[in-house]
Amino acid sequence: MVTEEQVMNTLRTVIDPEIGINIVDLGLVYDVIIEEAMITVTMTLTTPGCPMHGSITGWVENQVKALEPGYEVLVNLVWEPVWTPDKMSEEAKQELGQ
Amino acid sequence: MQPTQIAGKMPPSYKIVGKYFVSSILGFAALTFLMFLNADSMKGYHFQPKLLGLTHIATLGWITMIIFGAMFQLVPVVLQVKLFSEKLAEAQFWIFLFGLTGMVLSFFKFDTFLLAIFASLVSLAMLIFIFNITMSMIKVKEWNITGTYIATALFYLFLTVVAGIMMAMNLYDPYFKTNHLEYLKLHAHLAFVGWVSMVIMGVSYKLIPMFSLSHGFSLKPAKWVFGFINAGLLLLTVEYHFPERTIMLPIGTLLIAVGNLIFLYQVYLIMKSRVRKILDVGLTYTMVSFGMMFISTALGIFLVFEKFLEPGYLEKLVLIYGYLILLGYFSLIIVGQMYKIVPFLVWFHKFSAKVGLEPVPMLKDMYDENYAKIEFVIMNCALAGTVAGIAFGNQTVMYISTGFIFLSSLIFMKNMFSIFLTKGIKNGN
Repeated sequence: MVTEEQVMNTLRTVIDPEIGINIVDLGLVYDVIIEEAMITVTMTLTTPGCPMHGSITGWVENQVKALEPGYEVLVNLVWEPVWTPDKMSEEAKQELGQ
Repeated sequence: MQPTQIAGKMPPSYKIVGKYFVSSILGFAALTFLMFLNADSMKGYHFQPKLLGLTHIATLGWITMIIFGAMFQLVPVVLQVKLFSEKLAEAQFWIFLFGLTGMVLSFFKFDTFLLAIFASLVSLAMLIFIFNITMSMIKVKEWNITGTYIATALFYLFLTVVAGIMMAMNLYDPYFKTNHLEYLKLHAHLAFVGWVSMVIMGVSYKLIPMFSLSHGFSLKPAKWVFGFINAGLLLLTVEYHFPERTIMLPIGTLLIAVGNLIFLYQVYLIMKSRVRKILDVGLTYTMVSFGMMFISTALGIFLVFEKFLEPGYLEKLVLIYGYLILLGYFSLIIVGQMYKIVPFLVWFHKFSAKVGLEPVPMLKDMYDENYAKIEFVIMNCALAGTVAGIAFGNQTVMYISTGFIFLSSLIFMKNMFSIFLTKGIKNGN
């Protein structure tokens, strides 16, 4: 059975095409819940109304489905809590010149 | 955690937006090429056929054309509404292109009869645009400051059109009770400050934080900007309907200048809170453009005191003023933002459905950044060279500088078409 850690690892291959950093290091993934045949990824985006919104959530869905084809995947996009830069990993901060 | 309500399922038509963008890119190359060919005309009094033709290629064929395309792309995204009619956007495009081509040729030949006809077509296209965007925007559920600026810009575009068509008729069959050239100042400032700059400012509040990853800044100054600029434009509009200059001119100009300065302060607040400390070429262009805005604002204040200036000196300053607004402030921000917007437009169209299924490129991989940096240096040096050429009346400097601006526009065109022609990648990201 797939683990939350495996899901998080596969989400590292989902990269914000504008910023060029994966969504886990950007701190966009808030939670991963695996129950029965369902994987729920709760995540946000850096800006409400981000035009990449549909593409990134679609990417998450495709990537997780590829990891565990038998499971349903639900991407729960939320705006609360608001994303802030301190949610980024140290590597991501460095890459952005901080 | 609250699930999102945001839909984002109203992607504007790639075909429509792309058509406006490609025409605008070609328009920029045509403009810079014609500037090079007519470099010896970029001197003396500004009201002359070739300069009027060149100015309208810049304002309509390059700047307004790209704003049309950008609005068709951004209004649905930023305000979460569907474009009212793509058919109208399509019809508008062809009417505008045909009208503009005829209008520019009429200016070059100074055929006032044809000018009135083609200006009417351009006006019709603009009225279609205003109608289309207005009908889209009345369905907006969650209004924001960008929407307010865009709606106001539409109003000023309407006033610009009215003033423009009145002037075209007046050239053919004079009926103005005021001086045509004084009214031209109103037409130009409604277009520059009310239409183009208002759009730039409104869109900047949304796009600059998005691209620079800025968070936690106040947008309060943006409301003051709005108040000052509208008050200033109102005074100028009243002022230029009377034959004699009054105290309204310096006050109106000062109000707009204060509005511009507060806008720059707003940009400073946004940039200060940015997470992406390293500026890419798109944002670097944008910042230089705002520097140009500062310089042209200072020149604008200076020009209020035109009657104290020696005529030859005044002519040069007016040309430099218009040049810095069109090629400095407006063109640099457009070039910069196109390095951000066009990759997104093409990526969304070509790769959005392929994410997670096959490797897709990053936006910055869709053009050659080194070329963009070279283009940035050439364009800015050549801009400075052209200003020097106008200031010192040196034809050789003018030809060399406009030649280099043309070269930079070709590099820009090359990069833009690379983006449009981007294909998928085979081996990973």
